[in-house]
Amino acid sequence: MRLDWRAWLESLGRLWRGSLQVRTVALTVLLSTIAVTAIGFYILTSVRTNLFESRRDQLVSEAERAVLAARDEFTNVGGRDLDAVQFDAFEAIQSTVSTGPSIGMFRAPGQSGPAVMDTLYVGALSRIALSDGFTRSLVDGGEGRLSWQSIAIPAETGDGAASPGLAFGSLVDVPQAGRYELVIVYDLSDLQRTLDFVAGTLVAGGAALIVLIAIVSYVVVRLVVGPVRRAAATSEKLAAGRLEERLAERGDDELATLARSFNRMADSLQSQIRRLAELSRLQQRFVSDVSHELRTPLTTIRLAGDVLYDRREDFPPATARTAELLHDQVQRFETLLADLLEMSRYDAGAVELETEPTNLVRLVEDVMESVRPLAEERGTELRIVAPGGYFEVEVDARRIRRIVQNLLGNAIDHGEGRPVIVYVDSDASSVAIAVRDYGVGLEPAQLERVFDRFWRADPSRQRRTGGTGLGLAISQEDAGLHGGEIDVWSEPGRGSCFRLTLPRVPGDGLRSRPLDLPPDDAIELQEADPADAEPSETDAEARA
Amino acid sequence: MSARILVVDDDPAISEMIGIVLSGEGFDPSFAADGPAALERFREGRPDLVLLDLMLPGIDGIEVCRSIRAESGVPIIMLTAKGDPADVVDGLESGADDYVVKPFNPKELVARIRARLRPALPETGETIGIGDLVIDVVGHEVRRGGTRIPLTPLEFQLLLALAAKPNQVFTREMLLEQVWGYHYKADTRLVNVHVQRLRAKVELDPDSPRIVTTVRGVGYRAGAVG
Repeated sequence: MRLDWRAWLESLGRLWRGSLQVRTVALTVLLSTIAVTAIGFYILTSVRTNLFESRRDQLVSEAERAVLAARDEFTNVGGRDLDAVQFDAFEAIQSTVSTGPSIGMFRAPGQSGPAVMDTLYVGALSRIALSDGFTRSLVDGGEGRLSWQSIAIPAETGDGAASPGLAFGSLVDVPQAGRYELVIVYDLSDLQRTLDFVAGTLVAGGAALIVLIAIVSYVVVRLVVGPVRRAAATSEKLAAGRLEERLAERGDDELATLARSFNRMADSLQSQIRRLAELSRLQQRFVSDVSHELRTPLTTIRLAGDVLYDRREDFPPATARTAELLHDQVQRFETLLADLLEMSRYDAGAVELETEPTNLVRLVEDVMESVRPLAEERGTELRIVAPGGYFEVEVDARRIRRIVQNLLGNAIDHGEGRPVIVYVDSDASSVAIAVRDYGVGLEPAQLERVFDRFWRADPSRQRRTGGTGLGLAISQEDAGLHGGEIDVWSEPGRGSCFRLTLPRVPGDGLRSRPLDLPPDDAIELQEADPADAEPSETDAEARA
Repeated sequence: MSARILVVDDDPAISEMIGIVLSGEGFDPSFAADGPAALERFREGRPDLVLLDLMLPGIDGIEVCRSIRAESGVPIIMLTAKGDPADVVDGLESGADDYVVKPFNPKELVARIRARLRPALPETGETIGIGDLVIDVVGHEVRRGGTRIPLTPLEFQLLLALAAKPNQVFTREMLLEQVWGYHYKADTRLVNVHVQRLRAKVELDPDSPRIVTTVRGVGYRAGAVG
């Protein structure tokens, strides 16, 4: 039940946040309700005050006359029986006043001597308990002064219902009997009925007004929100690539202006995108043409160079060396060309992922196998640390292989013959491969430029992998294409760690990083001498 | 007798250079510079293997490949200059067995040629049954009932590799090594395309294969999964 209530509240919240129309109408209704209530309350209060005051003034003068008449009776008591005089006084009062009020005479408190004249009252006074404050004010006011008070007159049925009333009182001196309180109570229920009616009319009128406002605001908001909604839907379509979508332009109002400027924006977007698409197409075409035109002669050169290279032992030393140089430089030229073409394909946006389920551990092992000759030449030991079981990950194996190959090649090149460790780990949303070397490391200034094109850590350094300076830039693009990234930790003398993190599903954002950077051993070795920065034995044992 | 190899490339320098390399390795090369000439040379020379450039004037390489494949199962290795991946797939789908990307080095080319000319067949008995197919290993024939199913040597080799170990699941990499003779080569499209081509020939319903089945996330195996 409680859950239902919450769900209901939630859907209400969604409606509130999701619809400008709902919000506007609701706010309009809320504010106009407050305004109508305030106005109604003010009207009711001022009507009541006015009605009450005019009635009271009328009753005050009436009561004054009545009290005077009663006093007259009591001043001419003569020798008559007091009760009879009292009866006459009541008669006199009743003849003075317009409507039939309740009348009563009570002996004022605080008098000694016997009560010669009885307390007498007629009408509703039997049910009214006059407050102490009222009687005291009568006594304090002294004879001849008229006091009044608003009171509630309980209904005859005695069920707690009451009607409003006004009580007037004055002290009357009765010869031989002392002072008496003369009380006249008027029933104001007719006034209350009038007020109730006014209030009822106000409430009904106010409610009708609010409903009307709600309808009007709904219609008005619809008029405004409708076109905005259409604009939103259209821009949604534009964003989805349907560039020919436009808004209808009608009239000269602000909405038509919106539609016109929206369409102008869409026109310019469309032409820009077309232009870019055309540029990209031209670029792709160019890349493809250059690729073919350059590769055709290069293929012959390569074949010729290799044939010469294979026979270099038959040549005199100078010619043999020439064949070697030719061979090496052709290879370098070829790699450079391939990297350049790849880079320009990225720049032209002409690359696509070809994903397949891939076991990253096996992929890393394959790459390690392929760079092993180079590693052996350098005396570098290659290790893989891959804890846990692995499912296959949906990646473009060719690109990931290229990344790992590149990172491993760099690590061997700059690893000073110390071991290179590849960590592979994953979690629910991401996979990561980190390549750790214990070589020269990079200065912070170098670190900033490490992914820049054609940048090399040390241009004079002997490059065994024939680096073109584009490797990391391409790797970064390859990772980016998967929605992943490559980042790096490095310190001079303590080696480097390049970490590739990929989402399990290409294009899903990176939500977590299964491997830490800087690597754990970098923290352990914080105090160690750089020369001792060798991987610990536990790493070797953790080998998968 | 040395193997005859038809080299089809529109660039005379490449053709000549490839010729030098092939002669040096003991092959007998012949040349064609465009599509029609290639088909003509193929028909009159019946070479043991065709090296085919995909970018040709006249009929393009894909078309030539299709025509050759229509009349023969001769091994075809494409020479492709483009790095565009779609080209490789187009070439493989039109019937090429393997491909070499320009520029290549002579050893690589020769290794690819040798792998196609002398396929390493698994050691098995004379005939193997797989599903309702019978593979005659010695006669290089596959029959369903009394009907002979024509397979190219590569397709035969692929089917035989799978059928020789019916309980084993082959990864694409294993098949690349066993059938194509590659080590550490990542291009699994070779396997994918040829499995599709093989299925189109041997399966009764290529959409629900029963002879060569896919083991999701791993690779392929012969016969039903289970």
